[in-house]
Amino acid sequence: MPLLEVRNAGKIYRTASEQVVALENISFMLDAGEFLALTGKSGCGKSTLLHLCGVMDFPTSGEVVLDGVTTSNLSDRALTRLRRSNVGFIFQSFQLIHNLTAVENVELPLLLAREAQVRSKALERLRWVEMEHLAGRLVHQLSGGEQQRVAIARALVNSPRLLLADEPTGNLDTATGEVVLALLSRSVREFGVGLIMATHSTESATVADRILHMRDGRIAQLAVTR
Amino acid sequence: MRSSLALFWRLIVRPLANEPVRTALTLLAVALGVSIVVAIDLAGDAAAGSFHSSLESLTGKGNWIITGTGGLDEHLLGRLVTLPYPLNFSPRIESFAALNGKGEALPFIGLDEISEIGTVQPRAPASDVPNGVWAGPGLNWHVGQRVRLLINDSLHEFTVQGILPGENNRAIVADIGVAQVVTNSVGRLDSIEVKIPASDNADTWRKAVQRELPPGVRIEPQGSRTRENQRMLRAFRWNLRVLSYIALVVGAFLIYNTIAISVVRRRNEIGVVRALGGGRGLIFTGFLAEAAFFAICGSALGLLLGRILAIGAVRLIGNTVEALYVSSRPAPIALSVEALAAGAGLGLAVSLVAALGPAMEAARVAPVEALARGREEYLARIHAAPRAWLAVALFIAAAFCARLPAVDAQPFFGYLSVLLLVVAVAAIIPGLISTFVRISQNALLRLAGVEALLAGRSLAASLGRTSILTAALVTAVAMTVSVAIMVGSFRATVAVWMNNELKADFYLRSAGRAAADQHPTMSPDVADRIEKLPGVSAVDRFRAYAISYEGLPATLAGGESSRVRAADSARFLPGQNASEILAKLSTGDYAIVSEPFANKHNVRVGDNLHLPLAGAIRNFRVLGIYYDYSTERGFIVLDRKTLLKYLPDPAVSNLAVYLQPGADAAHVRSAIDSVLNGRSVFVFSNSSLRRAALATFDRTFRITWALEAVAIAVAVMGVAGALLAMVLDRRRELALLRFLGAAGSQVRKLLLCEAGLVGLIANTVGLALGTVLSLILIFVINKQSFGWTIQLHWPAGMLLTVAAGVYAATVLAALYPARTALRMDPIESIHEE
Repeated sequence: MPLLEVRNAGKIYRTASEQVVALENISFMLDAGEFLALTGKSGCGKSTLLHLCGVMDFPTSGEVVLDGVTTSNLSDRALTRLRRSNVGFIFQSFQLIHNLTAVENVELPLLLAREAQVRSKALERLRWVEMEHLAGRLVHQLSGGEQQRVAIARALVNSPRLLLADEPTGNLDTATGEVVLALLSRSVREFGVGLIMATHSTESATVADRILHMRDGRIAQLAVTR
Repeated sequence: MRSSLALFWRLIVRPLANEPVRTALTLLAVALGVSIVVAIDLAGDAAAGSFHSSLESLTGKGNWIITGTGGLDEHLLGRLVTLPYPLNFSPRIESFAALNGKGEALPFIGLDEISEIGTVQPRAPASDVPNGVWAGPGLNWHVGQRVRLLINDSLHEFTVQGILPGENNRAIVADIGVAQVVTNSVGRLDSIEVKIPASDNADTWRKAVQRELPPGVRIEPQGSRTRENQRMLRAFRWNLRVLSYIALVVGAFLIYNTIAISVVRRRNEIGVVRALGGGRGLIFTGFLAEAAFFAICGSALGLLLGRILAIGAVRLIGNTVEALYVSSRPAPIALSVEALAAGAGLGLAVSLVAALGPAMEAARVAPVEALARGREEYLARIHAAPRAWLAVALFIAAAFCARLPAVDAQPFFGYLSVLLLVVAVAAIIPGLISTFVRISQNALLRLAGVEALLAGRSLAASLGRTSILTAALVTAVAMTVSVAIMVGSFRATVAVWMNNELKADFYLRSAGRAAADQHPTMSPDVADRIEKLPGVSAVDRFRAYAISYEGLPATLAGGESSRVRAADSARFLPGQNASEILAKLSTGDYAIVSEPFANKHNVRVGDNLHLPLAGAIRNFRVLGIYYDYSTERGFIVLDRKTLLKYLPDPAVSNLAVYLQPGADAAHVRSAIDSVLNGRSVFVFSNSSLRRAALATFDRTFRITWALEAVAIAVAVMGVAGALLAMVLDRRRELALLRFLGAAGSQVRKLLLCEAGLVGLIANTVGLALGTVLSLILIFVINKQSFGWTIQLHWPAGMLLTVAAGVYAATVLAALYPARTALRMDPIESIHEE
């Protein structure tokens, strides 16, 4: 059974005057331990597809099956539980909470899940991204690369099965971006997570196992890199 | 639990510390709201709630008191003591005395068996003290001290013979014979205390004694007068309480605003928390917890502040109680658990209810949407139409409620009508701001430049917060305006009433402190001698007795209606002929009653009043209902001859002296002073009495003004806090203006213009709403609570002062946010994420 299956998913946004087709007839599968890159220009629907995969949003047609569970029939409470235990998010702009220190940001998913020993688990993940020495720093005292490493630690701290990264290197310089990509690849290998990374950089996409190229809300091409 | 606390601390409390000024302003707003509620409750309890009738001093718990209108014949005691019952009857004289004729009115009690009360200090030798008194320890007198006491119109010298028990007791006790002489009531008693054996069935004995009493003489449990007074004070306390809630209601708007700002600002955080597995419930409770945090901390501060404010409030409330209702000496302020729980509970409940809307909004936002800014403002615009319909429905409901009668003599529907109107206007504020900005933008540009235009646009673009902020200020302004119109109208009505009522040239009353239930007397010969003075045309004698009517305190009086000049129909309610009424009043058992009395007891012209007088129940037909604003107790007025027929004590409480045309007032005044030689009587000229009456009136409403001022202060603090939040949120926009060439002074002007526009809209809408609310206050709430007819009067000067004050305070409130804006580094701000 695949970790994630997207079947004929579509997403249409309606405003008062018009409707915008963001996604149309998208289908693909992702296994655990697999790294999938979503590429395409800005506005092609990469982020929208990530949101559907991470059960942050519902498709207007088709369905998303995560870990064998069809998400469209679930209540908000059930979706929250599913997301909490199975999905980790990494954002382009890091989305760390500025009033919290690095370690407190990483602890956040554990606290939300009412887990025990939050500090040791958070420090363990920070150690994994080589950020343990800056655990007590407030977020604004960290560089962009450091912030994204903290965000990766936060995404992994709950041991999710699916990791979703939206332009994780978009706000970083090349060298720092490579460090982040290496960390993401390592997480697939070491933790066996399924990883979907949205990126407009074809170069970054080459680290993935497969590349799904999107254009105007559709899958334009599927390529296997290895 | 630990996880929840950690989340609460990290996501809610810690961010508040990053904006200490705004957090402090919100906390202070809640604290002030709660403190006012607590202060009024504590002060109300001390001045009126814990009220103990001073005339019931030194009566034993569980005992019964025999009383009759105008007192009791001494012979009644002789009959009672011969009854074959194991009861103990103690006669009492109950009056008031003032030390050296000044200061508070002290209960002066005459008792037969002083030794029974017990003293804490030994008696001085009896031979040394021809006029001995026993003093309560609260007076701080000592045995052997000589004191001069004003009783009725005469000063008497006494020697303190002992100190009474009881920590706060401020009563003075004399032997009943002495008391009868100095109060001019030889042969009369004011009451008889009946001591009943502890183990017996009190009610059986009460019935047995009642059978022996002449008609109209009552036997009631000890504390009846206290309970009657408390009942009378209920409406006054209710209205004061409701006034104290205004600041809390204004505070509720600010809590709503604070939480709404918090929701808008934390949209990204909401998105992140939702993405990380936080559910809707967590988001909802998180924002409620933020409101609860403000409520708990604010309430804690408010309770302390309330205890301090209560000290000032108790004095103001005490003045009003004494002027309008009953002699009282406020009890010490007792920090009761109930008052504290009520204050804190109200603060928490109001805060949580206020936060419900924004918290639900935050919980409803889908995680993906949470990353998009501006939705809140969008919502405020697109919801304008349903809000308008809601407002229409609320207006209709308010109008309906305003027409409903009182419930248990309380104007609950009147209050509800006011609340509905406030909410209705709050609902249309976003639409009003949008419309105002749209139609005034050209004028703003021409009058105050581009800064004013940008300010207007900014208000319209952030309706979600500016509309709530404006609504808070509108509420405070409207309540102040409505109270100003009501008090102004009341004052103007009283002035007109005094013009009609006060026709005499001089007014005389016994010296000492005036109170609604104290009617110290003057010797009747004073009136007779003044009447014969050259230049005096007539003297109107007036005698008043504090009585109980249908379980409520009232005043029974007798006046010389035949001598009243210019029987002006304006004195009576419409449709009543004053000349006919006054002419008929002296011809038999007829009465006229004051408007508050008629309303309180549902009395109409033609009804019969049943009064226990001179050993029988007498019927008095009501000929007319007249306007009276001197006391809320209510008057039953008979002709003096009729009163004397039943209560043949010729002493008078007040005298009105009319001069002959052309008489020299100064000359007559000095002649009156000669007549009064040695007596303690105040003589007021017509104008000085009016001045004194209006001064008492103004003193009575000081507490009202204080409450309104706090509500406005709370609203202005809200303006400052919200503008500060707007500055912080719009730092990139403000930085961009600097990049585009705006000078610091222009940025400051922009923010001052924003505050000025909020002040302008709030003042305009507040004046309109306040005018409507004043109609409800005057014609519904006042009428149902107190029964006074008040003619609507627009106190233009007062309203302009309020509007100018609020406007200036609102603009000044923008100074600190403007300073904060100018201290921000534009380069840093423009490059922020």
